[in-house]
Amino acid sequence: MALSDLIDHRESSELLDEFAKREIRRATLAAVAIPGYQVPFGSREMPVARGWGSGGLQITLAVVHDDDTVKVIDQGDDDGVNAVNLRRLVTSSTGADESSIASEATLTQSRHRIPEDGLDETSILVLQVPVPEPLRGVERDMRELARMHAEADYSRMWVSLYEDKVRNGVITQTTGYPCLVNGRYVVATTPIPRWDIPRLHNAPFLTLFGAGREKRIYAIPPYTMVEPLTFEDVPFEVENSDGACCALCGKSESFLVSLPNSTTWLCSDTDWCARQRPAT
Amino acid sequence: MGYVSARGGLDAIRAAEKLVRTKRLVSDSNWLEEEQILDKLRLLVDRVMGEAGLWEPQLASKAIRQSEGDATEAVHLLRAYRSTLPRLAYSEATDVNSAQVMRRIVPAFQRVPGNQLLGRSVDYTARFLERTADADAREEAEKLRGAEREIVEEKSPPSEEISPRRLIDLLRDMDMLIDRRRTDDPEPFDITRTPARPPAPRSALLSSMSRADTGALVNQWYRNILGPDGYLHEVTLGEVRHATLPLNVRHPVTGDVVTVTHIRVSEVEAIEDLEGIDEDRTRFDVGYGLCFGHNERKAIAMANLDIACHRDAGNTQLEQSLLLTTDALDSAGFLEHLKLPHYVTFRSMIERKLAVRKMRSNEARTNDGA
Amino acid sequence: MSDTFTDQRFDVARLAIPDWLLKVEGLGKVYGPFDDAVINSTGSGPETAKSPLNGSIVAAWDVSFEVAPGEALGIVGESGSGKTTVLRCLAGDVTPSTGAATIRLGGSDLNMFAADAAERRRLRVDTVSVVYQDPSEGLKMNVTAGGNIAEPLTAAGWRNFAKIRMRASDLLSRTEVPLNRMDDLVRAFSGGMRQRVQIAKALANSPSVVLFDEPTTGLDASVAAGVLDLIRSLLEENRIAAVVVSHDFSVIEMLTSRCLVMHHGRIVESALTDQLLEDPHHSYTQRLVAAARS
Repeated sequence: MALSDLIDHRESSELLDEFAKREIRRATLAAVAIPGYQVPFGSREMPVARGWGSGGLQITLAVVHDDDTVKVIDQGDDDGVNAVNLRRLVTSSTGADESSIASEATLTQSRHRIPEDGLDETSILVLQVPVPEPLRGVERDMRELARMHAEADYSRMWVSLYEDKVRNGVITQTTGYPCLVNGRYVVATTPIPRWDIPRLHNAPFLTLFGAGREKRIYAIPPYTMVEPLTFEDVPFEVENSDGACCALCGKSESFLVSLPNSTTWLCSDTDWCARQRPAT
Repeated sequence: MGYVSARGGLDAIRAAEKLVRTKRLVSDSNWLEEEQILDKLRLLVDRVMGEAGLWEPQLASKAIRQSEGDATEAVHLLRAYRSTLPRLAYSEATDVNSAQVMRRIVPAFQRVPGNQLLGRSVDYTARFLERTADADAREEAEKLRGAEREIVEEKSPPSEEISPRRLIDLLRDMDMLIDRRRTDDPEPFDITRTPARPPAPRSALLSSMSRADTGALVNQWYRNILGPDGYLHEVTLGEVRHATLPLNVRHPVTGDVVTVTHIRVSEVEAIEDLEGIDEDRTRFDVGYGLCFGHNERKAIAMANLDIACHRDAGNTQLEQSLLLTTDALDSAGFLEHLKLPHYVTFRSMIERKLAVRKMRSNEARTNDGA
Repeated sequence: MSDTFTDQRFDVARLAIPDWLLKVEGLGKVYGPFDDAVINSTGSGPETAKSPLNGSIVAAWDVSFEVAPGEALGIVGESGSGKTTVLRCLAGDVTPSTGAATIRLGGSDLNMFAADAAERRRLRVDTVSVVYQDPSEGLKMNVTAGGNIAEPLTAAGWRNFAKIRMRASDLLSRTEVPLNRMDDLVRAFSGGMRQRVQIAKALANSPSVVLFDEPTTGLDASVAAGVLDLIRSLLEENRIAAVVVSHDFSVIEMLTSRCLVMHHGRIVESALTDQLLEDPHHSYTQRLVAAARS
């Protein structure tokens, strides 16, 4: 008898073996139990490269069943090429359905955006994380970073916010604004825009963060306090578009991105945009 | 300027895939067989297996062919495939002294028990690019084919052990070696199941380096020797070996130890002089390097960095660099992810710049008004 | 020429102060293995801190004293005397080999040496501050003066930007740092100015204990005089229990009411500062006083 006889040689479209999925689920449960804490996990290599969503993909694959409906977006766009690639990997290996409508999806995997609407208590949001460490800008040594989180010693972060405000007059953090979760851990909110930050606070949906390259999973359970780090007398500012409107749907209530000429604006959430326009 | 929503993401991907696949498979030149890659590009195959952390020469050849020669891409294919495989068993610990050496040199001494065995290496061959015409080269190959049966790869003389006694054993006999052998037998750290972060056990460091990108390890070594923030100096090499090792597993039914395959490894012991303030100047210490296949420069760098990390004892971030910045896929993947759309972030950056300008012009106006 | 106390005056080191805030008992720090024999082979009598028996260095041994709020205790000695070792143990930068250092806060006592690293760091935020000889040890050079002060404030929970700035500017003006330099990087400051910023930072959360390690060494004489003046008035204003370490008796004289003299890791003499200066008993103290007078 050869060892290979013990393996089922059926060609599987599975991207991860069952033990891996179990490991990932356990890590995810630990993350949900300790909101904001970065849980280390044995991140597997995926058919997409490190830095391209391998962490988000692992969480999705570990969590999704064939009766799920999956939405995948990149920069808010269902049709972004990386989103398309990830979506077809998920649907072909899990048998789940796909949809571009957030309220129809049971799980949304996203890079850099939260859908403008449609997420409720039945939704899971999986965010792809390039760098899970919010303190990376103020400290490089990993031993010291571990201590800072363990002791909730975020003073160096506060000093950098103070210096930012002093030097620039405003806090100039762009996307991935550091937030205090459940009053305990500071997290990197991936590069989602500040526009999306308020929707993390007390959200009805579960948010899972997957960092495949750095091999960390963290979570914000539903109805959890999420506070962007800022001084009480320095208001948190979302991106300002000076009242611009989307060239397609005419609305200004969503996060807008501009063309290089910076006079034409478009909704970043393409599905939300499409639903504002009368069906043609 | 009108905006047309580009709904062709899937189409674009499919077109790109078709183009790549067609160009790869269809050409006027001969079909490239896996055997040819295994046979003629053996060192590339070895390197790819080493960086994938997966010993399967046939699969590595397939990956190299599919990746059109991009070593890192081939490594990705292998590692992603590995993720689909269940873990069936753990091997028994292999005694490296049960190796069959094909090449063995010991720079630290002129003569050693078991002899210096140059073996199959281009180290002392002059690097002249051969520009013989293909036809002549094939003719030479045909002529050699007859004689090839008589050229057997030289092995250690039969009177010696198959695996010659190691230099560090000899140093131990001379009482010249710091003894850092453990009396306990801790489980090796499994970097494929738990991410290693400093401070990590030595097994985590060694396995990370064994699977590291070759260029990354060589560069880590070189910049620590000569770079502005480096502080290493060169070691003396003890053993440099290219050898075959058996891979043993307990049979799942009988419980007997069975050899399921043989692997080839490059193995290096690096001897460190120890001139640090708190170190024992009367002895040597040793670093260890081991990787899949014939890849001497990687094993040498690994051995050097192993002892360097031990001597560093956490004073600098050397351990962090070695554990976290030397993986081929992590580094290349993250670098290339910059090609992904980043227009949400970019838009947010522009917005903040405008906000700062506005704040500054407000302040200027206030000051003027005052 | 003896290191025993013959004295008609108070042995200040063994004076029990009823309302002490900081109490150090039997502090010892040895580098290398040691036992009684090793300890006894070192000290003022043997005239060495390094044991001839095994080369271990008894950097400090049997150091005990108490400090009350509002008073400053000096520790004087040349380099190698052990005074800096004592300060670094109290600061938490060095782990002592033996002894206790108790802080009495709001009625409860805490032995700092028995606390874990996290607790020691918390103490450094608002209870025990250190002013180092080299300001770059206590400050972040690439951060503004105001930002350096913001660090302990935010660590203590301050979250109002305007109030942080107000407190920082108060402290800076108290330490005579020009306010128009509040937003300059400390890296751009002169040595004396850096020291003032360090002092301002140390006082940010109104600590109960402040440790000064050679606060003016390395500064020009005129600059040093100004800083000393500042420290003295700050100590007078706040009910701080201060420990001032210096090799310079004139610094001790200016700032402290009592002091200990250390030599080869031991306390060799202790008394009220004035008395010590007027009438030093131990030969080593006499040398130090003479040096200060010249």
